[in-house]
Amino acid sequence: MSRNYSIQSFLGVVVIVVSLISAGCGTSAKGRFYGKTEAPTDNTLRYISGSEPESLDPQIPTGQPEARVLMSIYDGLLEYNPKTMEPMPALAESWETNGDGTEYLFHLRKNAKFSNGEPITAKDFAYTFRRGMSPELTALNAYLGFYIKYAEAYNGGRMFLKGADGNFLLKKDFVDEAETTVEAKLDNFGADTEFHRFLDAPERLTVEGSPFDLAKATEGDEKLKTVLKFKTADFKNVGAFVGSVKSGTDGVSKLLQEKLGKSLDACVSECDNNAKQIIADGLNKIIGEESLHKTEVLTGVTLTKDAEKIVKSFDGANKKVEDANKILDEEIAKSATDEEKQAKEKKRKKPLVKLFYANRFLLNEIYAESLEKPQFVPVEAKDIGVEAVDDYTLRLKLYQPAPFFIGLIPHQFFRVVHQATIEKFKKDWVRPENIVTSGSFKLVTRRPYDVVIVEKDTNNWDAANVHLDRIEFYPLEEATTMMNLYKANSVHAIYNHTPPAAWNEVVREFKDEYLNLPEVANEYYTFNVKKAPTDNIKVRQALAYSIDRVALSEFRKTPKPLYNFVPERILPKYDEARDKIFAEKLKENNIAPEEWKKRMFDPEIARKLLGEAGYPVEKKGNGWSCPTFPIDKVSVTYNTAESNKSVAEFMQAQWQQNLGIQVPLKNMEWKTFLPVRKALDYQGMARAGWVGDYMDPYTFLNLCYHEDNDSATGWHNAEFDKLLDSANKELDPQKRFETLAKAEFLMMREQPFLPLQTSATNWIKKPFIKGLYPNPGTLHAWKFVYIEQDPTKWDTNVENIMQTDDAKVSEQINQIMNSQKTFLAQKAEVPQTAKAK
Amino acid sequence: MLIFILRRLFLIVPTALIVITLTWGLIRIAPGNFYSGEKKLPAAIESNIRAKYGLDKPWYTQYRLMISNVARGDFGDSLKYQDRSVNQIIRDHLPYSATIGVLAYLLALAVGLSAGIMASLRQNSGWDYGSMSLAMFGLSVPNFVLGPIMVLVFSLWLYLFPPARWGGIGNIILPVITLAAIYVAYIARLTRAGMLEVLRSDYIRTARAKGLDEKTVLLKHGLRGGIIPVVSYTGPALAGLLAGTVVVEKVFAIPGLGNIFIQSVLNRDEPLILGVVAFLSIMIMLFNLIVDISYGFLDPRIRYE
Amino acid sequence: MQQEIIKGTSLWQDAWKRLLRNKLAVFGLIVVAFVAILVFIGPPIWEALTGNTFDFQDKTLTTSQSPSFRHPMGTDDSGRDLFARVMQGGRISLMVGIISTIVSLIVGVSYGAIAGYSGGKIDNLMMRIVDVIYSIPYILVVIVLLSVFGGPNTPGWIKTISDTFQGGQGLSQIFLLFLALGLVSWLTMARVVRGQILSLKNQEFVLAAKATGVSTLSIIFKHLVPNALGTVIVYSTLTIPSVMLTEAFLSFLGIGVQAPYASWGSLVADGIKNIQIFPWQLIFPGVTMALTLFSLNFLGDGLRDALDPQTRKF
Repeated sequence: MSRNYSIQSFLGVVVIVVSLISAGCGTSAKGRFYGKTEAPTDNTLRYISGSEPESLDPQIPTGQPEARVLMSIYDGLLEYNPKTMEPMPALAESWETNGDGTEYLFHLRKNAKFSNGEPITAKDFAYTFRRGMSPELTALNAYLGFYIKYAEAYNGGRMFLKGADGNFLLKKDFVDEAETTVEAKLDNFGADTEFHRFLDAPERLTVEGSPFDLAKATEGDEKLKTVLKFKTADFKNVGAFVGSVKSGTDGVSKLLQEKLGKSLDACVSECDNNAKQIIADGLNKIIGEESLHKTEVLTGVTLTKDAEKIVKSFDGANKKVEDANKILDEEIAKSATDEEKQAKEKKRKKPLVKLFYANRFLLNEIYAESLEKPQFVPVEAKDIGVEAVDDYTLRLKLYQPAPFFIGLIPHQFFRVVHQATIEKFKKDWVRPENIVTSGSFKLVTRRPYDVVIVEKDTNNWDAANVHLDRIEFYPLEEATTMMNLYKANSVHAIYNHTPPAAWNEVVREFKDEYLNLPEVANEYYTFNVKKAPTDNIKVRQALAYSIDRVALSEFRKTPKPLYNFVPERILPKYDEARDKIFAEKLKENNIAPEEWKKRMFDPEIARKLLGEAGYPVEKKGNGWSCPTFPIDKVSVTYNTAESNKSVAEFMQAQWQQNLGIQVPLKNMEWKTFLPVRKALDYQGMARAGWVGDYMDPYTFLNLCYHEDNDSATGWHNAEFDKLLDSANKELDPQKRFETLAKAEFLMMREQPFLPLQTSATNWIKKPFIKGLYPNPGTLHAWKFVYIEQDPTKWDTNVENIMQTDDAKVSEQINQIMNSQKTFLAQKAEVPQTAKAK
Repeated sequence: MLIFILRRLFLIVPTALIVITLTWGLIRIAPGNFYSGEKKLPAAIESNIRAKYGLDKPWYTQYRLMISNVARGDFGDSLKYQDRSVNQIIRDHLPYSATIGVLAYLLALAVGLSAGIMASLRQNSGWDYGSMSLAMFGLSVPNFVLGPIMVLVFSLWLYLFPPARWGGIGNIILPVITLAAIYVAYIARLTRAGMLEVLRSDYIRTARAKGLDEKTVLLKHGLRGGIIPVVSYTGPALAGLLAGTVVVEKVFAIPGLGNIFIQSVLNRDEPLILGVVAFLSIMIMLFNLIVDISYGFLDPRIRYE
Repeated sequence: MQQEIIKGTSLWQDAWKRLLRNKLAVFGLIVVAFVAILVFIGPPIWEALTGNTFDFQDKTLTTSQSPSFRHPMGTDDSGRDLFARVMQGGRISLMVGIISTIVSLIVGVSYGAIAGYSGGKIDNLMMRIVDVIYSIPYILVVIVLLSVFGGPNTPGWIKTISDTFQGGQGLSQIFLLFLALGLVSWLTMARVVRGQILSLKNQEFVLAAKATGVSTLSIIFKHLVPNALGTVIVYSTLTIPSVMLTEAFLSFLGIGVQAPYASWGSLVADGIKNIQIFPWQLIFPGVTMALTLFSLNFLGDGLRDALDPQTRKF
């Protein structure tokens, strides 16, 4: 009895579970909508935004999950068009650019307010831009602003150099003309200010803020040496200086004796504790890690990490010296005889060694003083190319024409923050009780890993056109949990790439909810071109041509096969230019278009290429085999993710089937994987994906720019670099695209990548949520979103959502675009309007 | 006994420091760092970050700074979630994990102990097999399977409970049951095994011979010795539960400590890792101490010298 | 009665006889043996019969198919025969179970027994070591293991060792997997055994053994451990399922089975994601795994009863 009882109970449970599941499947697959579908009555959108936001400071986080939340609570100069992601007016009601596209003027609207009711002015933007670029903030996104003049130099703690004649050295005197992008010239764009003249003046030379780097920079550069009036002997001095400091405390003592006329011990005993600290820190920087304890023993102080405090105390110490000297001056003036004067003069204190803080401690000044030649002037926040011309005009100055830069302005990194709040609360300013925001919504609640709740901000300039009262962002990543919440109508929309491939089979049947459009992102495998056998172009081509990418993308249920590197169907103008250029190039290189098409999938050619590379493929039974291929030298390395795994398995099967090689797969946890890929420590292939920062092919092609590029392939081509350089100088957009297409053609012929597909938005939303579009970045301007209570007006067949016109949204867009249109029209009428401002 | 407890409490500090040191070392060896990402950072930004967090200092200085901060109970700010301090993160998220964990363990104790005792009293009967099979169910059906199935049945078909997220009592029921299922299995089986051994020992026979009634024999003498394996198991189990259980937190979208901890390791968020590890190790040692003390009460023959 | 244990020779034969008398245990034994044989010799036979392997058959088969004559358990997302994958995954899972059980039996039992019997400072030290190991984040240890043994920074001597022992990449992964599992699988076992020994060591039979001059080691391993065996067996059968799931977690970090190979843990984890769409992808691997675990436990209980020195008289 006992045995049967238990087995029966067990089987019983199984039967119940099975029947429940199958019953559930039967019901869930039917119906027009996926799960429960009822429009909420509280005018609240519930949205799953992806991983937990790293911070609510718009200038800190880099990810899309944060961007989605931050876009609701911060406004920038411009906003993304909800459909196309093109820039449209936000806090700036209009903008203009100068002739060569290196300068922008933004005209701010006068009714813009922070959430605390204070007005938003150009000064707030100047603060925001400078804060973002400051080395202290260590914003990972700072590179987005590197196009702004001197921004990179400021962020990198670099220095201007003043030559012996007292003039700043200019970059054009030292850098090859061909490499400089555009010649700076004074223009009369916008109001004439001193700062504008400074920005328009030729670019100054900047060097890394360390004597060692200067020594290195001038090595072999006779021109720089001459201007700085350096002699080789001086460098010997530098060398001796560095050497003596490096050799330890004796060297330091000697140096101080020489330069300041007193021993190190004397210096130390004279200093107060703070100054000791500074010396210790500074010496530590120079001497290097090994001798750290020596400096500590010597000065008897330990290092603190609070650099700012040290700098202040250092200034304080110098102030004391100055004060003492002032008193001495008075006494000298009073003294009767010259002898007395001289005796008193001896008491004069020398200023403390000025250990210079430019994000790090340096002994530049000791060093510069010792040579009495070049002077280092740090690049400061006020030097970068951002100017509040008046309260409502902001000027941006770039190094080079960057036609895509305007598309970056709506990025969260450039959205305005409130200076007083940040200065008052420091890092705590983003707490709900302190935060001051600038967007259509304001923060109400933040429970990490649970929810971020924002509510319509009545102080916002456009509050009248914000439809939703409230948005709840849920930071979730577990796909099944999300789909369950969605099905139960607990959430109304989820972020991109969420339904797993298997679910898509079901979800994509719901035509009124499932959004599957191309994104400004691609997925590809990199080839390691530094290691055999993938250092051989033919091997790379063979591996690429043997993949049926149509089958692959069908397998993934989001079909967008990709053969080039720049994603297709999101940049129609570029697609056009690319078709044209590729056709020309094929003719030029005597390649028949059919031949070129074969790169899409032709196992025959692939096998031939592999044979030509020295690894002949033989027929074996029904399939193929390639016994000589060094399979232990090739693998696919990918970071752990369900979709990466299934793609890798598919690729493996394709190579097995078409080339007869069994490529091993290797998965790694993300942060383990990154350094491996970056350092080209992988064999053969590695998985990669790239999300564009802005809507332009350059954000993709830039990946291979320069020898020290970020492509993780080791591939680099001087001609490719030249093409990109010349594209950047091109002002005509279509010609620029054509030049970029030439570069892409060059790249694809050498096949450093194996493109897989243009990423798909792949997400779902309830049909009653309107104004939420699957734009190429899945970044939503929330003020366009509304909830439709009337089921007859719900979205249907969202595959065409981009073509379908929603009167409510398009009217709102038109209204916002009006200010810019009017402005441009006026400007065309009276070309001098802008200047007069 | 008091000296024993004090000595063990005193030991917690150095042991926790050893754990922290080893963990710190492992973080240093582990590849990748908190700021690495898909995009390569310009050198300037990277060196700013390294200077800001003292990563450019030699390792012994970094270690000394870390230890001196930890000794003051200050783990600093999370590197990933820069506006939140580690202490605050632990304080905010511990209640979620603790609520779910403690409730689940209490449920598991109630179900597991009764099933185990019942089974041991009627060994090899239908009762025995039935309750053990049920207990085994929790173990052979992993909670990442049980959780979604419960959601499917109770939330999506019957609409009885919300499918996920924190909220009212309705939100707690499914995760607690899911989490308890595993522990039921452990407790029931360990109780059964322990009871079977004890019930045949000499002192139980003596107790019966003395003519004590069966209830007293079982509950006062039998159970006390029989649950020693359960008690041994409870120490680490309860500490682990307080620190969160990743799977249940993920399935039910509960903002507990477990998921945050795993993420912190994957993010190489050093201060957060160290903070949670320190908390976890202290909990483990405290619970194990309580376990060791309770051995003495449960079984008078266990003595600590 | 303790004398009987030391008789030894008849102990195992006795136990075996008693085991065979326990019908449920026999059922468990048969199922476990059947599954073991199936997963180890099944795949080639299955391939010969139907041509199905755990990997892709051809590229056209790329969707989930419900169970059919050709695919008795259906296919997975990628159109691969699930039955073949369950068999292949069973190899890994059973191996993982066996290895970690052996480690926890050898290391955990002796460690716990020695600590419990020694008591005092030694016990305290040994148990604090367990606490320390238990407290260090396991996931971090695994990441470091992976980068030291499997990554590009592997020191040469470790490469040499793993090359001598394994050869291909696949095997060195398995080596890492066992290392990672071995590190932790004995910890709670040690705690449980120590608790048992603490309560046993002051019993009369131990005092008697001490008085007759039996050596410490043989007191521990011949007198104390056999008396704690019931709990040990039960606990090790409890360990097996959790270890199988730990394996699935390790695969996520890059240790363990590499695609396209699978394990029961990973098959079940994949299956649960698709439960609302393709339920068979969960049911078949899940039921196979659950059935095996149930059987292992019946077998374990049977063994426990059969080996229990106290029950033998009954």
